[in-house]
Amino acid sequence: MSEAAATIPDTPLFDRAGSIRGYRINKMAMALGQPANRAAFKADEEAYLDSFGLSAHEKSAVMGRDWHEMVRLGGNLFFILKISAVDPTPITRIGAAQASMEHEDFLHLRLGKKRNG
Amino acid sequence: MARIIGGLGTSHVPSIGAALDKGLRDTPDWKPFFDGYEVGKQWMRDAKPDIAVVVFNDHGNTFFLDRVPTFAVGVAETYNPVDEGWGPRAIPAFEGAVDFSWHFVDKLVERHFDPMVCREIEVDHGLQVPMELFFGRPEAWPVKVLPIWVNTIQYPIPTPQRCWEMGKVLREAIESWPGDERVVILGTGGLSHQLQGARAGFINQAADRAWLDGIASNPEPYRTMSREDYVEQFGSEGAELIMWLVMRAAMNNDVNLVHKHYHAPASMTGAGMVVLENAA
Repeated sequence: MSEAAATIPDTPLFDRAGSIRGYRINKMAMALGQPANRAAFKADEEAYLDSFGLSAHEKSAVMGRDWHEMVRLGGNLFFILKISAVDPTPITRIGAAQASMEHEDFLHLRLGKKRNG
Repeated sequence: MARIIGGLGTSHVPSIGAALDKGLRDTPDWKPFFDGYEVGKQWMRDAKPDIAVVVFNDHGNTFFLDRVPTFAVGVAETYNPVDEGWGPRAIPAFEGAVDFSWHFVDKLVERHFDPMVCREIEVDHGLQVPMELFFGRPEAWPVKVLPIWVNTIQYPIPTPQRCWEMGKVLREAIESWPGDERVVILGTGGLSHQLQGARAGFINQAADRAWLDGIASNPEPYRTMSREDYVEQFGSEGAELIMWLVMRAAMNNDVNLVHKHYHAPASMTGAGMVVLENAA
């Protein structure tokens, strides 16, 4: 399954490898479903990330809001969306970042929305 | 016996609930989407169901990766909406159809399914949004619910064929239940969308429109399609559509497509619904 699916271009599937690789990032993000953890994240983001044992590379991806890299590191969008809820960052901006497109171009070319103005 | 009075398919995009929370229903982005659901809401008012079976997936809100059930069934008395990171939503809790849910669990295991059985659990937008789309925002939900969770997040996800087989058992459970409840089945998720990777933002309107007709008139190709084909045609998260097969398999072979609606995009998703009734 995972090998065959990996042949669909630009379409990572959250399989065994991704789940193992991204476990720490996803666990940290999942915890943001609780208000106390959101407060801790806002108060001292790095300390919060350290408490979940994130590597320096993982921390820099999160703190830089590098959505593309977070997914590459095994972050699953449904978990890391909780980071975007704290910010907040619209999901279409996360999509555009992964597609390496400007937000307006992404809305127009991928989602078919009319351009503003 | 209880009776299936309709099978519904619908998207469950979280932005739909957020749009309602923020009062955006009648904005240019959302009005055409919500307007198309009015016939579905009216159908539901007329149908007066007692129980809603809702087939959906959790989105990393209730289940973490420490334990991932392929199928889970709720037998709780109450299901509270879960905080997905934006804070609690002002919608009522959902009352469980406890006895009927246990009956379904019995039937599943008798038919060689092995579900996780959930006694105390919250529900995310996968269940909330379909309920809001068809029942609006009542003070209390007019139906009891039977939640069925399907893992569509971590691979391996179940095969379309397995979802189909679960629908057959669901029908058997409804028809063997001694009560006289009127039951609607909501298959949720999709339509095409992809939230991850460089193909993010992928929407396939042609495949979505074909799905809305085909799921009614000729679901066979969707039952036999591979998971890879779902991902290719509908996007990585669009593979959620396999959950509509649970609903469809519980219906008669011949159904009437009473209502359908399609709108793209709703947030990053091709969104829509069908209302099916068993043909006489």
